[in-house]
This record gives sequence, C-alpha cells and structure tokens, in this order.
Amino acid sequence: MKFWVPRIMSVALGLVLLILADRFVNGLSNDYVKLVIMLTGIFVTLAVSLNLINGITGQFSIGHAAFFQVGAYTGAVLANGMFKGLAASQPLAWLFLSAIFGAIGAAIAGFIVGLPSLRLKGDYLAIVTLGFGEIISIIARNQKVLGEAYGLSTVKIQSFFMIALLAVVTIAVCRNLLKTAHGLTFLAVREDEVASSSMGVNVTQVKVTAFVLGSAFAGAAGALLTHTKAFIGPADFTMDVSFIILTMVVLGGTGSITGSVFAAIIFYIIPEKMRDLPANIPLAYPVAALIAVFIAVAGMKKIQDEVHGEKVRSTMLNIACIVVGIVLYFILSRTLHIVPFLKKEIIGSNLRMPVLAVTLVVLMLLRPQGIFGHYEFSLDLFKRFFGKNKSNLEAAH
Amino acid sequence: MLDIATLTLAGIDLGTLPQQLINGILLGAIYALIALGYTMVYGVLKLINFAHGEVFMLGSYGALFTAWALGYGPNGNATQGSVVTLLLMLLGAMALSGMMGLLIERFAYRPIRNHPRIASLITAIGLSLLLQYGGQVVLLEGKKQSIPDKVSPFTGKLEVQFRKPDAKLLEDAKNLDAQVASAQAAFDEQLKFEKGIYDLSPKGEQLGNALDKVKKEQKQKQDEAQKDAVGIQVPHGKLIMLTVTLVLMLMLRHLVMKTRMGRAMRAVSHDFNAASLMGININTVISFTFLLGSVLAGAGAMMYSTFQGAPIDTFSGMAPGVKAFVAAVLGGIGNIPGAVLGGLLMGVAENLVSWAGYSSYRDAIAFVILIAVLLFRPGGILGSNKVEKV
Repeated sequence: MKFWVPRIMSVALGLVLLILADRFVNGLSNDYVKLVIMLTGIFVTLAVSLNLINGITGQFSIGHAAFFQVGAYTGAVLANGMFKGLAASQPLAWLFLSAIFGAIGAAIAGFIVGLPSLRLKGDYLAIVTLGFGEIISIIARNQKVLGEAYGLSTVKIQSFFMIALLAVVTIAVCRNLLKTAHGLTFLAVREDEVASSSMGVNVTQVKVTAFVLGSAFAGAAGALLTHTKAFIGPADFTMDVSFIILTMVVLGGTGSITGSVFAAIIFYIIPEKMRDLPANIPLAYPVAALIAVFIAVAGMKKIQDEVHGEKVRSTMLNIACIVVGIVLYFILSRTLHIVPFLKKEIIGSNLRMPVLAVTLVVLMLLRPQGIFGHYEFSLDLFKRFFGKNKSNLEAAH
Repeated sequence: MLDIATLTLAGIDLGTLPQQLINGILLGAIYALIALGYTMVYGVLKLINFAHGEVFMLGSYGALFTAWALGYGPNGNATQGSVVTLLLMLLGAMALSGMMGLLIERFAYRPIRNHPRIASLITAIGLSLLLQYGGQVVLLEGKKQSIPDKVSPFTGKLEVQFRKPDAKLLEDAKNLDAQVASAQAAFDEQLKFEKGIYDLSPKGEQLGNALDKVKKEQKQKQDEAQKDAVGIQVPHGKLIMLTVTLVLMLMLRHLVMKTRMGRAMRAVSHDFNAASLMGININTVISFTFLLGSVLAGAGAMMYSTFQGAPIDTFSGMAPGVKAFVAAVLGGIGNIPGAVLGGLLMGVAENLVSWAGYSSYRDAIAFVILIAVLLFRPGGILGSNKVEKV
C-alpha cells in the first residue's frame, strides 16, 4: 500500500503538469515558436532513446534517423490508408495509436539492426547502423507507396501533450530501468561484455532489447513528427539528423539521461535561433572565431595534459585561455578585413552545422565523456561542485 | 566469335555486359585509390578516418582551382590543355589534400590518440561535418562545379568490337535518311507560316507527326541493329586514368615494401608499442601514413572529376568516401592488396546493379555488401579473421 501511494501521486502530478504545459503551448500565438517547442520535445525523445543504446548499453549506433524515419513513414502510410476515417474523426485517439504503430514498425527495424550487433562492436557496428540508415532512406526514395523523393503528406494533428507524454515516458523508462536489476545488466554490458557474460548476463538479449526499446521510442517520435508537420520527406531523415542526435547524446554525456535532455533542448533551440542571423555576415567573423577557439582549445588541452594536482592553478590558467580566446576574437574580427577574400559576405544561417561540428570536435578534445559524464544532474552533483557532501556522493556511485 | 549477345537473361541485355565490366573496373580503380588511404590509416592507428571522404573532396577542389588558375575558369580563355595542364592539376589536388590530411592528423587525432576509439570516431564525424558545411560556406557557396572538358588533350576513344551491329538493319536505317530529310524539309517549310512551334495549325501538326513517325522508325531500326553489337568503348582519358592509378599503386607498393619508411610503417602496423620501443618515431610514421593516404585520395579526386566528369561540391566526397571504405572492409581492412581488390569489386558491383536495371539502388549496394561482409566474413576477403580477445 505504502509503495503505491507515491507512485500514483507522481503519475497524477505528472499528468497535471503535462496538461498545463499543453495549455501553455496551445495558448502561444506564434505558430513558429509552437512548432519549435514541439520539435524540441521530439528531439528530447530521440536523444534519450539513442542514449539508451549508445550511452547505457554502450553500443555505438549512428543511424538513429533510420528508426525515426521508419516510425514516421509507418504513421503516414497508415494515416493515409487504413485509418483515414479515424484520423479525421478522432485525431487524438489516432495520434496515440499512430505512435504505437510507429513504435512497432521501428522496433521491428531495431530488431533487424540489433542482430548484427551481436557480432560487431565499436566502429564496425557504427558503420553498419549508418549503412542501414542509408538503405532505409534509399528505399523510401524509390518506392511509390512512400512518396519517392517527394514524400508523404498527412493530416495535421498537433498535440504538445502527446509529444511531452512520449518524452516523459521515454525518460521514465530509461531512468527506472537503471534502478532495477535488469538495468544493471545494461550497464554491465557497457563496461565489459566478456566479464558480464561470464557473470551470467545474457549479452545477446540485453543488446537486442536495447536496440528494440531505443528504436521503438524513436519510431513513436517519428509518428508524432508526421502529424506535427503534416508532411514528411526523405530530407527530414538524412544522415545529418542522425549526427545531430548523436551530438546531443555525446554532449550531454553518454549514459546521462538528464544530460541528453539538456543537450537536446539546447542543441535544438540554438541552431533554430541561428536561423535568425543576418544574411550578410563578413567571412572574417567566423574565421576569427575559429582561430580564437582553436588557440583557446589548444591552450586548455595543454593545461589538461601538463598541469596536474593544483586545482586552483589549472582553473586560473583555463580562465586565462578563455579570456585570451575572447580577446583574440575581438582583435581578429576587426583586423581580418584586410584580407580581401575574408570581406566576402556569407549567409549567417549556413553557420549552423559548422558550429555544431566545431562544438563536437572541441568537446571530444577537452572532455570526451560529455558535459555530465556518466552522472545525472542532481542536487548532489551541485553540492559536490561546491565541495560539500562528498562522502554521500561517493557512496551513491 | 562470341555469341553471348543472343543470350538474354530475364530481359537483361547481355551484349552490354563487357562495357559495364570495363566501366566498373575504371570506377573501381578510383575507389581503390581512396580505399588505400582508409586501409593504411587503419593499419597503423586502428582508426576509421571518417574525414577521408572530405580529404578526397578537397582534392577535387585543388584540381578545380588549379584549372581555374591556368585559365580554364568560367571566364578563362585558355585553349585545349596539354599533358602539363593535367600534371599541374594532379599536383594541385595532391598538395591540397595531402596538406589537409596532415593538418587533420596533427590537430584532431593526435591529441586524443590515447582516448577510447569512440572519441576519435566522433571527432572524425565532427571534422567531416565541419569540412562539408564549413566548406559550403566558404567555397563558392557550395555550388556544383565541374572541370571543363578542354583541360584534357585526350579526346579520342578506344573502340573494340567483338561483334558488328546487324549490317542489314543499319542499311535499312540509312535508307530512311532521305525520308527523314524530306519530312524535315516539309515541316520546316510549313513552320514559316506558323505562329510558333507549340501552336500549330492542323496541317502543321500533321507534318510534324509524320516527321516524328519517320524519325522514330529510323531510331528503332538503329537500336535494333546496335542490340546485336557486342563491343566496348573506352575514352582515352579513362585509359590514362587507369594507367596513372596503376603506376601510383606500384609506387606505393615499392614505398611500403622496399624503403626504410615503409618498413617502419609495417612495423608500427604490426605492433604499435614494440615499434616505438625499437626507436621508430611513431608520430613521424603516422603523419607520413596520413600524408600518403591523402595524396592518393587527392590524385583519385583529380582523375575522378576530370576524366569521369563528376561534379564537385562540398558534399561530393561523401559517396565515394563511403564506397571506398566499404571497399577497404571488403578486401580486409589494414590490407593493402585487399583494398585494391575491394575497390575493383565495388566498382564492378555498382555498375552491374545499374546494368540489371536497378540504377536507383546503386548507392545502396555498397551498404548491402558491407553488412553481408561484416556478418559473414568480418576480416574481409584477404584479411585474417582474428577473434577479439579480452
């Protein structure tokens, strides 16, 4: 009895919060902002579900857009065919069903990709998942039923409630998984496959489960995307989308669910904001920024490698590097105009992917484990940052 | 004589098979050049250099810019090129991509060489995104460019016919020439009184239809005659491409097997730590390997865009890069003859898929082969099938 009370309470509270959030989003007058919020929700689901495969189970998959695509196309084909009537008369009920169908479709795809993962690891598995993604996208491009290169259009059903619900369910499943004995086997497989299998962990089952679960969530997100945008095409699921999701997971910290959530929100909204950049930035600015970042990062890397132990000194040196970088940027961005080639004006929104790429490389150089590492964001982490409660945290991990 | 042309298999025209095989080998030679870069880097570092396709892309730009500098640009007025033009373009491409390979190794891979391999893989993905999208911002707004045909002095064609086209049908087609000419003349005469070519009077329309009909008949006869022919056509430029590729491969073989540096490379690839204990400068060897691989990719890029006529944009390195990677895995990654074999097989496989009528799936075949190889023989054709131990 005691066990169920907080459960039911928290589920009820969560539902109330979701309904309030839904009200809030529906109340927004700007359609663009609404769409961005909804797509952010979808990307949170995608990042957390990829984190289940990449971070928690340690299988390196870089073709997550494929499962997203399978789910989206499943939803679109069913909404245009068998369930046309339902989609028109009961949009919300259909949205729920379509998420389930998308999840089933993608889970089957995940099962198929999960099988080779039994024999491959590391970079080979990465390439196979990438290849699988490409095969799916080439098939979609060439089948008449799937709209070929043009894509499919469906009914527009926008519901932030469903998107947020899916994100919350994904997060809850991943978080609760890690609290149970089943979840520990996932972590064990990540840490050492051979050792865990000799301890009685069914490695095959764990890996396939991770793939099926992760891709099912991505598929559900895909089905929701179909109805949020009312139009999907192969361009929505290119390799770049996989790489963006991967960036979110890696930046947040592989294995950290809260990290994925934060990174997904930040790395969906920042590139969207960058669309507003002016269309006539002189090339000198990004070049100056690149040089400044390069020098600052080189300095910080050197400090990381060569200054040990003295925390205060290394922190000061790091700050000095950042300051040097910023000063350098201001000097260079004013002086580089001398070079005629750098006077050229470029379109600001084209800088979105280069910025993502530079962030990825810089992070890998300075902190390969991601911003949060394997940790979750919590008050404990906060306290540890200020040097308190150390023993408590060490006991937890 | 060969009699394969009379055989038809499920509607596939076997008469064009020799031509498709030759095309496959020509394309495969380029894939092999790129694959060598992947395989050598993997050999010494056990790292898949994802940015190699982008090094290839920069090689094409190197060739393009050299051609422009020599006056073959959009507003250039240079005449037919010579061997020197081509050599300069080759050098330009090799220099640019070689430099890029060295920079990538020094500033992106070397600092994290001791981290887990996944970190290097993610760095490589980041770099390749940076080069693709950053290049799109900087280089010509990422518009598709191509190298003008006139840079190459080799315009001829090598033609070998195993079986001549049906002489009688050709004769028939030729006899229709007079009819076509008269119909064309009548139509042209009528056109003078018409408002426009898309706005014909009934009489004009009738004449137009008659012309179309006679033209169609002639075309049909010609096609039928050609159907019986079995032969191959190879432009001289592509022959040069194949020769240069072979020469480069032989040079590489000499370098790896006969020189001091090559021996050091083999030692590092055999055992990284032991080689460093024996006094081999690991950093130099790795830099040299990257340089070598990138230079080969640059040479491949120049020939791919000049003789195969592939258009250049900042994403154009992606597809050949991935296919070459598959070629390297197919032949056995880390194995130099394997990369060449894999490249040739990939080229042939790709052409056979389009020949069989599935040309829209020609990019998918690479991945299908890759998945099949990794599942059934992860070591590749020539590679050893090592079991990974704890």
